[in-house]
Amino acid sequence: MKISFLIHNAYGIGGTITTTFNLAAALAERHDVEIASVLRHREHPNLTPHPDVRLRPLVDLRREKDDPRHREPAKVFPAAEYRYHQYSELTDQRIAEYLESVEADVVVGTRPGLNVHLALQAPEHVARVGQEHLTLDNHPPRLRTALRRAYRHLDVLTTVTEADADSYRRKMRLPGVRVEALPNSVPDPVLPAADGTAKVIVAAGRLVPVKRYDLIIKAFARVAAAHPDWQLRIYGKGEEQPVLRRLIESLGLWNNVFLMGAATPMEAEWVKGSIGVAASNFEPFGMTIVEAMRCGLPVVSTDCPYGPGEIIKDGVDGRLVPVDDADALGEALLDLVRDDELRHRMGRAALDNARRYAPGPVVAQAERLAKEAVAARSTGRRPAPDGGRTLSGQGHAAADLALAAASEALRTLRKGRR
Amino acid sequence: MSTTAQDTDTPRAHCTVDADGRTTFRIALRSAGHPRLALVPRAKKNAPQQPTRLLDLEPHGDDGDLRAVLEPLPALAEGRWDAYLMRETDAVRERLRPGLRDLRALVDGNLRERPSPVAVRVPYATKDGFLAVRAWLRPAHAEAGRLDLADGAMTVHARLHGAEPSDGATALLRLRGDRDTTRSFPLRTDGSGFSFTAPFAELTGAAPGDQVWDVFLRPAADVPPVRIGRLLDDTADRKTVCVYPALTVGEAAARPYYTVDNDLAVEVTAVR
Repeated sequence: MKISFLIHNAYGIGGTITTTFNLAAALAERHDVEIASVLRHREHPNLTPHPDVRLRPLVDLRREKDDPRHREPAKVFPAAEYRYHQYSELTDQRIAEYLESVEADVVVGTRPGLNVHLALQAPEHVARVGQEHLTLDNHPPRLRTALRRAYRHLDVLTTVTEADADSYRRKMRLPGVRVEALPNSVPDPVLPAADGTAKVIVAAGRLVPVKRYDLIIKAFARVAAAHPDWQLRIYGKGEEQPVLRRLIESLGLWNNVFLMGAATPMEAEWVKGSIGVAASNFEPFGMTIVEAMRCGLPVVSTDCPYGPGEIIKDGVDGRLVPVDDADALGEALLDLVRDDELRHRMGRAALDNARRYAPGPVVAQAERLAKEAVAARSTGRRPAPDGGRTLSGQGHAAADLALAAASEALRTLRKGRR
Repeated sequence: MSTTAQDTDTPRAHCTVDADGRTTFRIALRSAGHPRLALVPRAKKNAPQQPTRLLDLEPHGDDGDLRAVLEPLPALAEGRWDAYLMRETDAVRERLRPGLRDLRALVDGNLRERPSPVAVRVPYATKDGFLAVRAWLRPAHAEAGRLDLADGAMTVHARLHGAEPSDGATALLRLRGDRDTTRSFPLRTDGSGFSFTAPFAELTGAAPGDQVWDVFLRPAADVPPVRIGRLLDDTADRKTVCVYPALTVGEAAARPYYTVDNDLAVEVTAVR
């Protein structure tokens, strides 16, 4: 197969970029793979693609950022998309040209706005796979309405969790579109797994409010009080850093809690710990949870929507606790700190259970989905619409239209007041 | 992890450090020649230039990787050593990028007794993204542990390595830039280590403007003081990781911190 990925900016840093590069590299072993990057702002990408994967920038900002067409708003890329401000008449044009002339059998979109381009502009013979790395329920109503119109022209829509796939099936009427959860994969670790003896708890991610590092620090205070030889290491940087620093100081935890700064890759840092911890209020997937488990760490996490509950088996390879409950989080951490045998057993289970996120199984699923999409396109045979869910899909569509209209009205009112 | 997507084309070295400091470097490189890894010390003011340490890169196992081993002895002189690859004997040196640094054996290094001289090495990534080794080499070393801050004073718990404290041992804070201005505090025995309490009020007003006090242990009256710092784990740069709050003492704020060399100091600044 010839496979082309369409990505926002392959030259930046982020989960979608890493996942796409990893998937493209694995597929390149057996297929002809390219990555089309809508934007390019530097000579080399932060991650070098597999030597057999071609990288194809569509708009080079270093030369073209002052192009008059780049100052005109985009018309195809949906206005309610998070990155709308980075798109323009120029990106509309280049993406359309790319799709018109694409030689691939299947094009894979990697974010909502690009999936819209793909759904509306790909030639009839090209199979269309849209990937969602965020979640339907967290999209603004106006974006949901735009996606509802466009996504019915996709062949396959992948989400990163079953829960999100279920939302799409229930809340959008997408007849003939195969909706399936395709988790992010985490490459096989290079280093030996953690042996569970280090008195170190590790957390990692961007330091932003939704990740609730404050809750982790408060929960860890219980651990430090009973076991002062244990430490908590938090890797990452972000706007919450000074807030977290003040919290550490006010709780007197400077001997036990450390803001380590960013570390990439994290593998060598995970293996220094023996427990992983996450406390997000919301997590579309939970890449760091999988990374920690693949390094042999049991992970204590909040059971927030959507990822953690699908990754962790509570009591077997980690613990799931209620969102925003420092006591429950602290108690679950203490259980693992106090009981060496339990910690070791769960660590081994985490190592085994997280293998389902290895590139092998995930790539095989991606390959199957792409083949099915190509087959469906070439025979012109698309599965029959699912009549039973139409009504509920229409209900959600009406609700989103109403919500979108309401927020539009609110915006107009606010403008009027200024 | 993240091995499928490699960061750049420059050569990259993974390394593993044993508890005793033995460091194994691994580079994915095919070479028919005589490749070597060079550790080049950064020049230091008022110190003789150390010779470059050259290590043979040899095939190991059948994964095609080349390995070089830096044995615990001879110890590296204190300072920062940049890592380079020399593909051939007379080849140009190419700076190495850091790969995975497996330093897990160092994490609880403060629990082990160290003989004199105390030698420590921690591979790290420089700010501009290259591989280097941070080395410390001291006749004796006092490793700081828990640091309590209360009632306008700091209590430092520490352990002496490479020397024995006598009955007359004291903690010494010395004003930076003025070796003659010092403050002494009595030591208490504290398990396998010692502790002392330094009231910050004794540090204010010693000199005009902001001051820095470096923290030492004097094992006996007639021996040179030993620096108190925190060197015995996997952290090469502690300054931004181990951060303590400031205490307000009269018109000043006093805050303990780790220097760029991971030594303990106290900064005293006027509150405006």
